[in-house]
Amino acid sequence: MNEGKKSFADVEFGEDLPEFHPAIDMKSVKRFTDATGMSWSRFNDHEEAKKQGLPGAIVPGIMSQGILAAMVNNWAPGCTTLKIDTIFRASLLVDSTATCRGVVTDMVEDEGIVEVDLTISNEAGETRVMGTALIRLQDA
Amino acid sequence: MILDLHSHSIRSDDGRAKVENYCQWIRKRELPLDGFVLTEHRQWDAKSDYRKLEDETGLCILKGSEVETEYGHVLLFGVNDDLVAALDFSRLDLPLHEVVAAADRCGAIAVPCHPGRVTVGMCAHYGTLGPCEGVQVIETLNGGSRGTENEEAIALAEQYGYRGVGGSDAHIVSFIGRCATKFEREIRDIGDLVSELRGDAYEAVSFKE
Amino acid sequence: MDIDVNQLKEDWCGRQFDEVQIPVAAKEIVEFAQACGETAARFTDPSDPDFQAPPSYTSRFHGGRAMPKDFPIQSHQGFDAGKCVHVNGPLRAGDTVTARSEIHDIYTKTGRSGNMLFIVHRMTFTNQNEEPISVVDWRLVQNQVSRKSKREAGQS
Repeated sequence: MNEGKKSFADVEFGEDLPEFHPAIDMKSVKRFTDATGMSWSRFNDHEEAKKQGLPGAIVPGIMSQGILAAMVNNWAPGCTTLKIDTIFRASLLVDSTATCRGVVTDMVEDEGIVEVDLTISNEAGETRVMGTALIRLQDA
Repeated sequence: MILDLHSHSIRSDDGRAKVENYCQWIRKRELPLDGFVLTEHRQWDAKSDYRKLEDETGLCILKGSEVETEYGHVLLFGVNDDLVAALDFSRLDLPLHEVVAAADRCGAIAVPCHPGRVTVGMCAHYGTLGPCEGVQVIETLNGGSRGTENEEAIALAEQYGYRGVGGSDAHIVSFIGRCATKFEREIRDIGDLVSELRGDAYEAVSFKE
Repeated sequence: MDIDVNQLKEDWCGRQFDEVQIPVAAKEIVEFAQACGETAARFTDPSDPDFQAPPSYTSRFHGGRAMPKDFPIQSHQGFDAGKCVHVNGPLRAGDTVTARSEIHDIYTKTGRSGNMLFIVHRMTFTNQNEEPISVVDWRLVQNQVSRKSKREAGQS
């Protein structure tokens, strides 16, 4: 019944989630903004974004949040997300190479709850988005 | 002895880390830290008592504060009732010279943090406001710095003869200990920390990967 | 811009100022999920028996207005500092959610962008059966007072 799903017993405090580079090229961002009705120039056009004082087109904050939520779901199939809290510290540029990381930083055994630190950093290693997710895993 | 002098817990508006989890993380990852100081934003956390957690984990857990001045943000170590009465910790525009003087008068010490950071660091303000008298120590290594912000802080310290400390500025558990301060002598309480910061037997260290 | 934060909080926090109904379609859920990199069938395949929206899905929604009528600060002047989603129940295709908006908190701090006024805009989502779906806190920042340094302004 639990096949393919991650259980609480499968998780260890301090465990790293698999690191990956999210698809934040212009095509992928346009796909997201089309899907959410957010097809604005600051997300979809580098030159127009620069005219608005930005260093280039930026990834929408809610796309970053969605990417991090997906990272957690892909790491822990079948989990129930209770909370996802993201802080947009600085702009994440479209067409940049970003890295998503996650790590288990709290475990509440009685409730099967796990907390995960989440970050998206840029090529320079600077954290652009950070946050936490609280998820519930089923018993082993 | 190595202490991370700059960290935030869920008591700060933008902090997402529980103190217990900082301890657990340090032990699990075998970080070379002997403890850390909680420097919550714009407040003095008089209530929290971490002595039991210190006993359980063997870590030194001290409390300070991070206040905001016209020169940027400033860490306060050795906060006591006198200092709380002297300063409104919630203000965004405390005069730095008053913070430094009040800390000195009350047996504490003020340490401007992330000096290289735009707007909330003192480097840029030195160009417009001039140097602030009484500053002795600044944070030369900050775990949240971007680009050349730490290099600018180190250059400022060299220019004005300031001593340098390090702190992670952690807001989430996994960022604790990215930068810290290595002391030659043991520190057991906040009084020891203030005494040591007034001396020169320490250095800022970075553990950023 | 001089703003009395305590007065603002007293005048505006905790009062619902907007309510909208939003139908939720399977196609939109799938597009959102795939664009975020979700791979599980429960988020990407409408035929999955547990098909539902990804946990942060309600972050995408806006109400009829971003701020209360006559609120002294216009939302288009600010930037997005973060979003927190408390998930209370699954959102399914075919649901119609009701989103109710209020100002939850207002506070100030200084950061790289200068003196900042934070407005926490809260949207509470329920489904057509009034079952709780999620609460989304959106932290919107207004640059309250310019404290930009010479360097930042490009003068040095």
